Amino acid sequence: MKRWLAGRVAQAVVTFALAAVLLFVLMRLAPGDPLGRLATQRPLTPDEVAVLRARYGLDQPLARQFTAWAGALLHGDLGTSIEYGRPVAGLIAERLPATLLLGGAVLLVNFTLGLWLGVQQAIRRGALVDRGLTVLSLAGYAMPSFWLGLVLAWLVGVRWRVLPPAGMSDPLLDPAAGLGARAADLLAHLALPALTLAVVSIAATMRYQRRAMLDVLGFPYIVAARAKGVPEGDVRWRHAWRNALFPVLTLFGLWLPILATGSVFVESVFAWPGLGSLAAEAVGTRDYPLLMGATLLVSALVVAGGLITDLAYAVLDPRVRFG
Amino acid sequence: MGSLRALLGVTWRRPSARIGWLLLGAVLAAALVLPPILPDPAAQPDILSQANLPPGLGHPFGTDMLSRDVLSRVAWGARVSLSVAALAVVLSVTIGAAVGLVAGYAGGRTDAVLMRLVDAALAVPRLFILLLLLAVWERIPLAALIVILGTTGWFATSRLVRGEVLRLRGEDFVRGAEALGAGRRRVMFRHLLPNTLGPLLVAATLGVGEVILLEAGLSFLGLGIQPPTPSWGGMILDAKPVLVTAPWSSVFPGLAILVTVLAVNLVGDALSDALDPRSA
Amino acid sequence: MPSALRRSALAACLLALAAPHTGLAQSRDRRTIVLAVPQQASVPIPTMMEGAASTTGNQDVADQLFLRLAVLGPALQTSGDDGFVPQLARSWTRRDSLTLAFDLDPRARWHDGSPVVAADVVLAFDRARNPAIAPKLAGLLRHVAAVTAESDRRVVIRFDRAYAEQLYDATFHVQPLPSHLLASARAAPELPREFVQHPVGNGPFKWVRSVPGQFIELAADTAFFLGRPGIGRVFIRAASDPDARLNLMLSGEADATDVSAPVSNFQRVAAAPDLRTASVPSPVMGYLLFNQRDRTDRSRPHPILSDPVVRRAIVLALDRVMMVRATYGAYADVPYGPVSQLLWIRRGSPRAARQNLGEARRLLASRGWTDSDGDGVLDRDGRPLALTLNYPLTSEVRRQMATLAQEQLRQAGIRIDLVRLEGPVWSERRSRGAFDIDFSSVTQDPTPSGLTQGWTCHGGTNVGGYCDPAVDSLMERAIAARSGADRLWQEVLRRIEADAPAAFLYAPSYVFAVNRRVATVRLRPESAWRDLWQWSVR
Repeated sequence: MKRWLAGRVAQAVVTFALAAVLLFVLMRLAPGDPLGRLATQRPLTPDEVAVLRARYGLDQPLARQFTAWAGALLHGDLGTSIEYGRPVAGLIAERLPATLLLGGAVLLVNFTLGLWLGVQQAIRRGALVDRGLTVLSLAGYAMPSFWLGLVLAWLVGVRWRVLPPAGMSDPLLDPAAGLGARAADLLAHLALPALTLAVVSIAATMRYQRRAMLDVLGFPYIVAARAKGVPEGDVRWRHAWRNALFPVLTLFGLWLPILATGSVFVESVFAWPGLGSLAAEAVGTRDYPLLMGATLLVSALVVAGGLITDLAYAVLDPRVRFG
Repeated sequence: MGSLRALLGVTWRRPSARIGWLLLGAVLAAALVLPPILPDPAAQPDILSQANLPPGLGHPFGTDMLSRDVLSRVAWGARVSLSVAALAVVLSVTIGAAVGLVAGYAGGRTDAVLMRLVDAALAVPRLFILLLLLAVWERIPLAALIVILGTTGWFATSRLVRGEVLRLRGEDFVRGAEALGAGRRRVMFRHLLPNTLGPLLVAATLGVGEVILLEAGLSFLGLGIQPPTPSWGGMILDAKPVLVTAPWSSVFPGLAILVTVLAVNLVGDALSDALDPRSA
Repeated sequence: MPSALRRSALAACLLALAAPHTGLAQSRDRRTIVLAVPQQASVPIPTMMEGAASTTGNQDVADQLFLRLAVLGPALQTSGDDGFVPQLARSWTRRDSLTLAFDLDPRARWHDGSPVVAADVVLAFDRARNPAIAPKLAGLLRHVAAVTAESDRRVVIRFDRAYAEQLYDATFHVQPLPSHLLASARAAPELPREFVQHPVGNGPFKWVRSVPGQFIELAADTAFFLGRPGIGRVFIRAASDPDARLNLMLSGEADATDVSAPVSNFQRVAAAPDLRTASVPSPVMGYLLFNQRDRTDRSRPHPILSDPVVRRAIVLALDRVMMVRATYGAYADVPYGPVSQLLWIRRGSPRAARQNLGEARRLLASRGWTDSDGDGVLDRDGRPLALTLNYPLTSEVRRQMATLAQEQLRQAGIRIDLVRLEGPVWSERRSRGAFDIDFSSVTQDPTPSGLTQGWTCHGGTNVGGYCDPAVDSLMERAIAARSGADRLWQEVLRRIEADAPAAFLYAPSYVFAVNRRVATVRLRPESAWRDLWQWSVR
């Protein structure tokens, strides 16, 4: 078990290192100079550009840039953002909570409402409810998130004025306000971006849960329980669902890339101050260190998610062999 | 191949999948029939008097802010989106199947190296890879876009096929063939590959939906299909400022994406159910 | 969980979400104002806004915190010594053609209570003139020879040559910094961390806090020596997406924001009952720059565009008035020469040429460009009249106008291939001269002497290879002239228009949406929110 664990962790580290190299190469192969965009605002003379290039190390050969970057990375230093002129690690740390909050809210909706609906579908397999939910959830999945976000921001935020159309908090709220008021304010701002991301992603949870539940409902012990006269509610929730939950929960690792991608589109639409809007900005401005830092963090999360999934399997499922 | 036909038959009998087939058929028919009989999608008849016209007799889907016919652009966009998605998916499924077959059947170090690379690639969300790759081209030719979408979409498929191959390797018919002296290539292509076609078909169908959404997202960011070629994502980008004042110019391309992706996913979903006998 | 309980819990959550929102939007402090801006300020501190930090977001906040010695008057006249309004400096005297002496207002105070002294001005100039700290400012201040404190309240600035814009250079580019807090930072690129995170200024508003990615809060300095600000608190909210900013305005969550073209956005503001539109001249000017050198080999002339007759024909083939109407409505005009609405030299210019397709075709035919193969595209010696047009994908206006230009030039027999580029790639191509036509946009300083950069033979940003020695010498005379400069500038513009190095397309106004609860609105062309302290709220 210990050897298996060490091997699995080492594998995760290698995966992450490979991803980092892949990213660095991709990023630096792209044409265009991060300082070039400054000329879109105000003309810079070659001398001014030279000073700035030297400041950010862009005048070094590619291999030297890589070793410098990798060395600093080992010390947790992600470099300095060109756009913000501040350490990338600090910027990301500022923006990460907002994205985790948004991602967490979406996961919560997925893993409560999504699972519940998936079970309902499995129980009523083939009925109108099942089919209707299939079509509805897949329609949500088929919607471009930016399109849905634009429509919701306008309809709910501007037309109906039910929820704020943008931002993460009302700046006018007294910073000394009570926890309840602040939480309510945060929830109100969270609602629309979370709803958008949930609508476009809930289908996957529902489909997996439906299938897992159907698998379990076909097992002999369920049939036996029913034959013994166990109430149907207990059969479904106590006997079947508990076992059908496990394969779905371990899908957790799958969600991270989906949420990271979705947040790139959705956060900008709602001015949500998270990693996604930061990354979208960094792509547009070719802020190498910042984009690199954001992408690396997402990759690290994905690798860690995979590792956790495997560990969960190993702990929960005795059939996994530690070979 | 008989099983494949049976598989498709199953999806036709499922009402939700039948809706999918019908929707897909409608989109395909529109893409084939409509473009030649509609106005030039790039023509700007009169930007001051004919821009942002609501849907009506002359323009069933209205006109956009540059006075172009929205229906014509949606129909042309269907051609572009569908062919880009189909070709990209063929490419990615082929690569994915090949890598998965080799990794799963060869095993050992080959498998380990290939899967580490696939893991690394999977760890970076596809969108980020695409954003970086697309920035390399100034005017991205359609063919290059297809290649990029195709070569970034096979990682998960290869894992899927590898898993399937690992499972099949222990089966009697594969062992039997090996015992009878069949070569590696013969085992791979005659015995293993045909048995992974079902999962591959599911991956391909779902992949089409994913590529259409990705292409729309990239075009929305201005990185995908280049004007004047109409594309659904690009149309939403163009129409963003008139989302409220002329909703038809963004609603119709949005609906086109929704209907098409929904259709392929309904079919793909039914296919994967059909492969899993308990849940059909 | 029983489903009834679940349902009521859900309902409670929805109520909780809906209630506070409507409540807060209405119970707004009367003296508080919320601005929605494209980007949050990162270092709103003079001499730190270099390179990537040289953003409007930083400048706008810095203008609330830090005063200048003097500011431009309403006419935006940058040459001579008459067009300026005192701020930190109570008065100034000209000692000779190379020397200006400023007397600081004794009432001026830093937000920590210390008086503003001459050493503060010296410190800021020392930093600004150091190319290792502020390469851009150092370039702008290249004619400043020395800055010295003669006493606590008197600063003397010496120049190395006599020219018309000495006072402009001495006051516009750099704001004084508190020397009592930054004594150690005279030659260091970075300022003390504490100061960067909590800047101490001397302007109408004090720094309160910054919530990263969301907003910056400022509070009025009630002891501000030029008068108590009419606004008590200012929140500057960041939302990079223009639609998100407009949504904040339309939902009553923000009181003022910039509105960007296209015209449909202006119409939405006009249609909203609680909003009104305000506009000021902007320093922006958009143009199609013709490359007169070969785009692959700069040593050779461009095979098509080196001919001034062809360039003029392209300009005449464009219906610039219609293009401006379709994208900006009434909020932009077609400039005469490379002149934004901000430049005072635009006064007295003639109107730009209207579209004339017949004349365009005649000009092209006179240079041998005819449609000999009948494919709709003109050609000469088997070579089609086909050009690429580069533009950055981030600009909504340029995207739309490029599509319009493509269609109009097609009608004149000119084929345009649009090349939509990511911002950095676009500007890299531009600065390398790797384009036929480049869709450029500049943000001009209020001074016309900035035109030397782009339109003289050896100008630093002259990427199109335009060179007319007569224009160069005219500009040099205009910059040095103490009087009669306006006639010389008009001659410069006339010559540039005749040479047609570019098709000058639009000089827009900045358009703002302001909630009607704001009673007094004062916007400035060179720094939109600078006079925010003079606003008032109903």
